[in-house]
Amino acid sequence: MKYYTKVNNQEYEIEIDHEHEITVNGEKYVIDFQQLPDAGLASLLINNQSLEAVVEDQDESWEVLMMGKLYTVKVQDERTYRLALARGLSADSGEGEVKAPMPGIIIAVPAVVGNVVKQGDKVIILESMKMENELRAPRDGIITQVKVTTGASVEKDQVLIVISDPETGD
Amino acid sequence: MKREDGLLTKRFDKLLIANRGEIAMRILRACHELGIKTVAVYSDADRNAPHVRYADEAYHIGAPPARESYLVIEKILDIAKRSGAEAIHPGYGFLAERAVFAQACVDNDIVFVGPPARAIDIMGDKQEARQTVKAAGVPIVPGTEPGLNDEEMIAAAAEIGFPVLVKAVAGGGGKGMRPVHRAEDLPDAIAGARREALSAFGDDVVYLEKMITEARHIEIQLLADAHGNAVYLGERECSLQRRHQKLIEEAPSFVVDEDLRQRMGAVAVAAAKAVNYVNAGTIEFLVDKDKNFYFLEMNTRLQVEHPVTELVTGIDIAQEMLRVARGRKLRFSQEDIQIKGWAIECRINAEDPYNNYLPSTGTITTMRLPTGPGVRVDTGVFPGYEITPYYDSMISKLICYGETRGEAVLRMRRALEEYRIMGVKTNIPFHQIMVESHRFLTGQFDTSFVETRFSMEEGEGESHDLEAAIFAALAAHRQGQQASQIVARGARDTSNWKWYSRWERLRK
Repeated sequence: MKYYTKVNNQEYEIEIDHEHEITVNGEKYVIDFQQLPDAGLASLLINNQSLEAVVEDQDESWEVLMMGKLYTVKVQDERTYRLALARGLSADSGEGEVKAPMPGIIIAVPAVVGNVVKQGDKVIILESMKMENELRAPRDGIITQVKVTTGASVEKDQVLIVISDPETGD
Repeated sequence: MKREDGLLTKRFDKLLIANRGEIAMRILRACHELGIKTVAVYSDADRNAPHVRYADEAYHIGAPPARESYLVIEKILDIAKRSGAEAIHPGYGFLAERAVFAQACVDNDIVFVGPPARAIDIMGDKQEARQTVKAAGVPIVPGTEPGLNDEEMIAAAAEIGFPVLVKAVAGGGGKGMRPVHRAEDLPDAIAGARREALSAFGDDVVYLEKMITEARHIEIQLLADAHGNAVYLGERECSLQRRHQKLIEEAPSFVVDEDLRQRMGAVAVAAAKAVNYVNAGTIEFLVDKDKNFYFLEMNTRLQVEHPVTELVTGIDIAQEMLRVARGRKLRFSQEDIQIKGWAIECRINAEDPYNNYLPSTGTITTMRLPTGPGVRVDTGVFPGYEITPYYDSMISKLICYGETRGEAVLRMRRALEEYRIMGVKTNIPFHQIMVESHRFLTGQFDTSFVETRFSMEEGEGESHDLEAAIFAALAAHRQGQQASQIVARGARDTSNWKWYSRWERLRK
C-alpha cells in the first residue's frame, strides 16, 4: 500500500511493503511499529533506531509529537491522492481564513477589505486569557471579507477574516 | 499572637486553599506532609481538577470567571467558617496580594498564611513602597519626584546622568514614556511625554528615572517569622521574560557572587524589616552591567518560581510558610543557609511559540511527564483536562537540578524531550531552542533578550520530518486496515470487540 505524505513542505512517498519493511522515496527501511495501549503513544524502530511519539488523527492530517516537537503530517492513500490530483485541488486550500484560536473579544481590526497583505501581517487583535493576542495573515493575498468589528466577542474557530489569492480569487 | 498591623499567628489543623492549579497542589502537599487537613474550593470549570480530588474536603464556589468564584472574598470566608478551616493560604494571583482579604481573614479569627495586611498595603503602592524602603537604606532607581517643572527636571537629569526615562505618573503600557540619551533631546521628550500622557490618561504629570540598560531581573527570596527573625535564601535569576511574563528562572544567578549575594540579601532583609514583614516574600531588583542593584518591588506572597530556591537550599518554602503562620520560630539562621548546586525552571505554557505565542485552548489528550534524576514537575492538569480561557495558560513547571549549571541544563534538555503533551500547543519548543542557544549557555542575556534578540527560526535544530511522516503513514495504514475489517453489527456472527481481540492476536 502506498501513501503520499507531506510535512513542513517535504513530500515523502511511503510504500508499506509488508509489516516490517517500507520504502520511502525509493529507499528501503526495516521497521517495527507498535501502538501502545496507552492513548496515542507509538513506538517505532527504523533500522533499529528507537523513536517514541504521540500520534493523533486530526480531521485532515495527523499530528506527531516527537522529541518535544509537533509535526503536522498530511497523509493520503493512493486513491485519495489521485482523486485530488484529478480534481486539481491544491493541498493548501482553505488556508485563506483567519479563525479565532480561542473565544475572546476583538480589540482592534487592522485589516481592511481590499488591502493586500503579506503572510505574517497583523490582521486582528484578540483579547483572551488576560492577554492581547495578535492574529496574523496565514498567507499572501487580498482581504476580501472582514466579518467582525472592534468590541465583538467571538467563539473559538469563528471565521474573522477571509484572504483570497489575487490571481484566482480563490 | 495578634498584631495591630493585621497579623494573626496561631496553631491550626485545617487549612483552606483559596486557589487552583499547580499552586493549590503544591500547598496541599505541604499540608499533608505536616498533618494539616485541607479544604479546596472550585469553580464550575474545576470540578475534576486534581486540587479537588487530592484535598480532604472540597466546596463549590461559583461560575468559571474568577470574579465570580476565586476572587469573591465573602464566599471564601463563608466556606472557611462552614468547613471549620482555621487558616487560609492564598497561593499566588487571585487574592494573594489583597490587603483587604488578609485583614478580613484576621477579623474573622482565621490565620492568613502570608504577611500582615499593612505590609501588603505598603508594598502594593509603588510610591509608598519606594519611599519606605529608601528610608531603610535600600537603593532605588535614581530619579525625581513627580510634579517638577521642565527646568527642574532638566537640572535633575544632569545629576542623574543619561540615559534617562521620562515617565508619566498615570502611565502604563509604554504610553507617556520616552527614553532620552542626550541632554539636548530632553526638552522635546518631556513635552512629548506630557502630551501623550494628557491625551491617554488626562494627566500630564511626569517624572524622570535613570534608564538601566542591559538590566537583569534578579530577586531575593526571604523568610521571616513573627519573632523578629528574617533570613534570605539566595537569589533567583529571572531575566528571561516576554511581555513581563517570566519564562525561565534559575538559582543561583550567573552574575551574582558571594559578595553581591550578601549585599543584596542584607538590603532585602532591611526592606522587609522596614514593613515588619512576616512569612515568605521576595524582593525584586534590577541589576545593571556594573552590578549596581536597585529595588523594583516586593512580592508579598509565595512565587511561581520558588522551587528553584527550594532545590538549591534544601528548604521547603511551602512548609516553612505554614510553620511561620502557626507562630513558630525559624529553625535556621542565616549561617545555616548554603547554596548547593544549580536549579532551572521552565514554565510550560499552553501557547504556540511558532505563532506569536498565541494562547492555545483545548483538551489535553495525552500527557506523560518526564521523571528521573534531578527532575521535578509541579502541575495541576491531567489528560482529559480542558484548558479554558478563564485562567492563565501555565500548564506546569518543569524544574531540573544538577551539581553544576551544565548538569542542570543537560537534564533540562533531556526532560523537555521526554515531555509528551498533546491536545494543546505548548511552548516546549521555545524552551528547547533557548536551552540550546549560545546566549543562554554562556549566561549572556538581559530582560530584553527574548523580545528583541531571540527568534524561533535561528535556533531550529535538526528536524525529523521523515520520521514523523513514517509515524503518520503507519498509523494511517493501521487505522485503515482496522476500519475495513470491523463491520457493522449483525454482519458478523460475533461482537466486534471479540473479533478485534482475535485480529490483534492474529497480527502478533
